[in-house]
Amino acid sequence: MAVTLTPVPVRRPVPDRHHRGVSRWVVLVLVTLGALVMLVPFAFMLLNAFKSPGDYSSGGPLSWPTEFYSKGLRTYWTEVNFPLKLWNSALIAGSVAVLGVVVSLLNAYALGIGRVRGRLWIVGLFLLANMLPQEALIYPLYYVAKEVGLYNTRLAVIIIFTVIQSAFGTYLLASVLGTFPRSLLEAAALDGAGKWTVLWRVVFPNLRPTLAVLLIFFFIWTWNEFLIPLVMLIDNQTQTIPVALASLQGDRLMDAPTTNAGALISLVPAILFFLIFQRTLARGITAGAEK
Amino acid sequence: MAASETVAATSPTATTPTPRETRRAPRGRKAAYWLYLLPGAVLFVLVIGAPLVGTVYLSLTKWSGIGDPTFVGFDNYQRLLDDDVFWASFRNTVAMIVAMVVVPTVLGLLLASVLFDVIGRRFKPRTAAALRAAFYLPQVLPVVVAGIVWGWILRPDGAFNSLLDAVGLGALRHDWLGDPGTALPAVMAVMIWVQIGYPVVVFMAALQRVDPELYEAAEVDGANWLHRFRAITLPQIRPETFVVALTCTIAALKVFGPIFALTRGGPENATNVPSYFAYYTFFKKLQVGYGSAISTVLTLIIVVVAGVFIWMQARSERRDRGF
Amino acid sequence: MQRFRRIVAAIALAATATTTVAACGGGESEDDTGAKTLKLWHYESENSAMGVGWNRAIEIFKAEHPGVEVRFERKAFEQIQQNAGMIINSSEGPDIMEYNKGNATAGLLSSQGLLTDLSAEADKRGWAGKLSPSLQTTARYSDKGVMGSGKWFGVPNYGEYVTVYYNKDLFERNGVKVPTSMAEMTAAMDTFVGKGVTPLGMAGAEYPAGQLFYQLALSKADRQFVDNYQLYKNPVDFTADPLKYGADTFAEWVRKGYVAKNSASLKAEDMGTAFIAGKTPMIVSGSWWYGRFKTEMKANWDTFLFPGNTLNAGSSGNIWVVPENSKAKSLAYDFIDITLRPEIQDLIGNNGGVPVAADASKISDPKDRKLIEDFNTVSKSDGLAFYPDWPVPGYYDVLVGGFQALINGSKSPDQVLDTIAKPYADGVKEITGK
Repeated sequence: MAVTLTPVPVRRPVPDRHHRGVSRWVVLVLVTLGALVMLVPFAFMLLNAFKSPGDYSSGGPLSWPTEFYSKGLRTYWTEVNFPLKLWNSALIAGSVAVLGVVVSLLNAYALGIGRVRGRLWIVGLFLLANMLPQEALIYPLYYVAKEVGLYNTRLAVIIIFTVIQSAFGTYLLASVLGTFPRSLLEAAALDGAGKWTVLWRVVFPNLRPTLAVLLIFFFIWTWNEFLIPLVMLIDNQTQTIPVALASLQGDRLMDAPTTNAGALISLVPAILFFLIFQRTLARGITAGAEK
Repeated sequence: MAASETVAATSPTATTPTPRETRRAPRGRKAAYWLYLLPGAVLFVLVIGAPLVGTVYLSLTKWSGIGDPTFVGFDNYQRLLDDDVFWASFRNTVAMIVAMVVVPTVLGLLLASVLFDVIGRRFKPRTAAALRAAFYLPQVLPVVVAGIVWGWILRPDGAFNSLLDAVGLGALRHDWLGDPGTALPAVMAVMIWVQIGYPVVVFMAALQRVDPELYEAAEVDGANWLHRFRAITLPQIRPETFVVALTCTIAALKVFGPIFALTRGGPENATNVPSYFAYYTFFKKLQVGYGSAISTVLTLIIVVVAGVFIWMQARSERRDRGF
Repeated sequence: MQRFRRIVAAIALAATATTTVAACGGGESEDDTGAKTLKLWHYESENSAMGVGWNRAIEIFKAEHPGVEVRFERKAFEQIQQNAGMIINSSEGPDIMEYNKGNATAGLLSSQGLLTDLSAEADKRGWAGKLSPSLQTTARYSDKGVMGSGKWFGVPNYGEYVTVYYNKDLFERNGVKVPTSMAEMTAAMDTFVGKGVTPLGMAGAEYPAGQLFYQLALSKADRQFVDNYQLYKNPVDFTADPLKYGADTFAEWVRKGYVAKNSASLKAEDMGTAFIAGKTPMIVSGSWWYGRFKTEMKANWDTFLFPGNTLNAGSSGNIWVVPENSKAKSLAYDFIDITLRPEIQDLIGNNGGVPVAADASKISDPKDRKLIEDFNTVSKSDGLAFYPDWPVPGYYDVLVGGFQALINGSKSPDQVLDTIAKPYADGVKEITGK
């Protein structure tokens, strides 16, 4: 039985004889340099988030700030009512992550385990949600949402992104479940377990690491969505963080330091989320189907 | 354990039911599985199906977004055939595929393998995790903000030109986003920066799945990193490679946000892409009918490309299984 | 599978049937005399002149309407710009909002019956008397949504125009005097070029390039041209003056180094900050910068009208509109009326804005006063010529692309005029059917 229910144990470093040579240090330095290059734009954000508008205007984005200016941060916090937007974003991204995973799992269970007829076509159809360019959906979605009374509600955005994200989830999970050990299912069936029980008692626990990865992806992808929330959420009470950020950019003028300060604190929750769950990522996206 | 088995069965395409399987699950019991598709199907029809039909309908009309659409038949498609800007924007899509699929996948494979196989094992796993987080970070940044920050770096008096000056390459100073010749490569570089974290994370996760003994055995046999990469890493994580390549290809075909934030398709359409062109037609020119036609054609192209992709994947897997 | 497919198709069809029917919105306005809330949206930042003025207007409104709750929300410009039609076609929209003036925005919505006709109120409350005719252009729209005549659908509060900002310190240091004619202007710019300074700030990726081109063209134009170009009275010839003069001169200015060749990718924000930082002696841009320069710029600076022009790019500012679905129309009219009172207008003026109905003598700061007097000069002589990207929807990007090519030298002026002529003709045809 090769299916592990626990994460792969962290491997101890290989004994000392493998440590010889400078090449590993060269590799480390190169990769670290690459990682630092990746971080350069973030350094610029940090540099400008605490600059006064006058400072920014006269020194430009690359200069060192002459004073530590935190008013941009405070303005952003109060002016856009950041805690409310944070709650909206967390609610939407969180719900989408959970619902998206559930829908993906149900779909994939029918496709990967149930092997219903024409599953290739069904997966393809679901993937359509991922393939459609979003701008094509906007006008029709607006009318559907208005018709069913969900225009300007967070629920509309949650439903839309549940479908869009679960397209990817269905595709991935159906692939993974295609390799699910039949013996496990048969054993459960012999014990008299129904399909529903099998799903939650056998399939779900084994897929947990993969589902966790999906959860993280869905959360972060939804967190940063802009176009559809911009159209669907017109009230300041329902808006998400990226839409609030956009409200700092006027018709012809923008407030760069406030935008930066806003972007910086808007980034924090998503980064925290990623860091907290990054250990989950290590467990492998197809971990459930090991060996 | 057989590597080929994992690979072979990983795609839904590869699992055409063999008679043996059908026998195992009787027909009546199988039908119950349809119920599990119900929630997904209902939501899909509501959010994708109906709007898609709506878009196709709108593509046959002339409409400014309010009031009643006027039915015009295939006029919009006729017009699209002659629209040079639209077809030119597909040239840039090829560049986007290079920047969002080819380079990130290749670099991602190398990086993931190095992080996992060299840094994770020769140094602390924590080091590898920290470096991975650094590579993933751009994925978390809203594209609108990324656009502003990269604007500062690439503009004529920006950080990149200052850097060139500092290292004595001042002669190479350039208006990177303003010259049609360099705007596309500059945007491509930004796209690689945005995209790289996704394959790195997926591939590193995939490598966790691989039996560590394979690597240890290879090492005992004296195989160096490159050997291990080719003999173990690549074949073992092929399923994930396909997933990454397909999703990134779809993303590249419909890329919009970064173009919107960085160049708005300029200068002189040098960085225009179909999705931005559609957006511009929808919301700036207020030609919803024509925009819908653009979107419909673009969707069709994406579907065909994705279909070919899945078909190739299935074929390669079937070949592996010895069919 | 077959059955499943049929079901999907049936549901999809049913869903679209309802959605397309839903496309025709509108509806009768109900009697709203008892309305207890006023939902008000605008997108001016809190410390801008309009933001300050309108905040005060809200306070006055509250004082005069005890028991009425004002639900104010500051919106993202992008959101209103992109989705106004969708928003006010639903029941979730505001009772009164700031909206962009022009054919592609307020004009379009009014032609679809989504905006309330304000003509009766304008008569009753004397708004027409407060606004000069060239300001009224953007308040009134025909049945087809073309501005300039017809019913009132919006009320402007402030004006804007393109002028020249200059850095006094740099002028003095280089011995340059404020030019009063085009010849003096070019001479002044030659002096700067001679000293290795690029005289004119530019931003090719956004509106400034198109506006400079338009200013140059306007120097050879008359009102008839503006009517032809903006109101489609007659066809416009892109191969002849004044547009040809505009493009040729623009190219010449690039060639002579008045405008930096590497400014094609710059955004307006970059141009503005460079001016604030004292790096550029002059920029040709709009009065919307004024307040920001006033608070952020350390060097001495001032403005002068583009030398030699009687016509200048400019117009009324954004307008107040009352959606047809508004549930508090009479409250909305009251609010508009308050914003036109001298008190609010002076407040806008004293905060660096350009009020439309203010007494310039009430403005305390001399620099503010000059800004407003200059505007009044242009406005009274019927000199507001609107903006180059107004005539057709989506023309903004066409102009940006065209003038980027002129800045980086990849196209000749004739080629650029050629590329911008076709979208103009196509767009006008869409609107007028000719």
